[in-house]
Amino acid sequence: MDVKFNNRDPVYVQVIRHFKEQIAKGYYVAGQEIPSRRELANQLKINPNTAQRAYKEMEEQQLIYTEGNLPSCITKDEKVLKNVREELIIEAVDLFVGSIQSINVPLSEVLELVKKTHDAKSGETEESK
Amino acid sequence: MIEVKNVKKKYGRKQILKGISFTANKGEITCLIGINGVGKTTIMKAIMALTPINSGEILIDGGKIRKESFEKITFIPDTITMPQQMKISEAFQFMADFYKSWNPQRAQELLQFFKLDENDRIANLSKGNTAKVNMLLGLALDVDYLLMDEPFSGIDIFSREQIAEVFTSHLIEDRGVIITTHEINDIEHLIDKVVLIDEGAVLREFNVEEVRENEGKSVVDVMREVYRG
Repeated sequence: MDVKFNNRDPVYVQVIRHFKEQIAKGYYVAGQEIPSRRELANQLKINPNTAQRAYKEMEEQQLIYTEGNLPSCITKDEKVLKNVREELIIEAVDLFVGSIQSINVPLSEVLELVKKTHDAKSGETEESK
Repeated sequence: MIEVKNVKKKYGRKQILKGISFTANKGEITCLIGINGVGKTTIMKAIMALTPINSGEILIDGGKIRKESFEKITFIPDTITMPQQMKISEAFQFMADFYKSWNPQRAQELLQFFKLDENDRIANLSKGNTAKVNMLLGLALDVDYLLMDEPFSGIDIFSREQIAEVFTSHLIEDRGVIITTHEINDIEHLIDKVVLIDEGAVLREFNVEEVRENEGKSVVDVMREVYRG
């Protein structure tokens, strides 16, 4: 697990985002066990207090759950998991639309280009595999 | 908790510490940042009672430092203090003779972690490995508080990463750490708290996650503001 953290957003927020991406990707599935706080801190090279904070926040958002002394797991609530994926998509689209609008590009032109670039990039990653 | 309260210190006529106050909690990593000569090392020496202070007070878990405190708190200076002709294993014995809190299992664990050979003589080690042995001797003590003076200075990037990794592991967990550095980039994600010092005074003391959350600033952003603003 290699995550590049930026220095301006709270690290715990970036950790939560990392988890959401893994969920959206399907790397983490409903009910799957996740690393302990200590393991996570070690894997991501972060402070154990930060890992603790991220887990606490994810528990509050009901992304993960912890029963007694057992390891924490990804939620089994499919609705929550679906929302995570949607949330990430909407966020990405908003960002994209924002930067396109700021330079006044017509949608039709952009869509064509998006499709081309997307196809080219998927081709690349297929080959590199 | 280590509490430094309005500490003043003069070397001759030069006022080095002009009323320094800050706290460092157990279970947290507190970083003292400042350019060379602002008194970072003097603060650490003052906490360890290695140098007398002119006024102010330093408390460790609510009490003044005593002989017994040295089983609870340790100082890792920026250069190794063991005799150069000693083998690493002899340095271990030396520590075991002096400290009740010396933990031989942990010393072995650290030896493996840093990939060091206990039969090597300190004099024959590279600079990076000497720094690792120096760190190891402090980390293998079962103390509540660790003070580290410039653990990253003059070491190559991979050794720095290895030392930084120690901070994310159980070797540090639950202990209180005070570290001085000016190479903040290596450890920006690892620290809980920053105390910015200039000319013997605290300019700002802050929790790094809070500043990222409330102000959207990195540690370096705050440093730029405080030192240049």
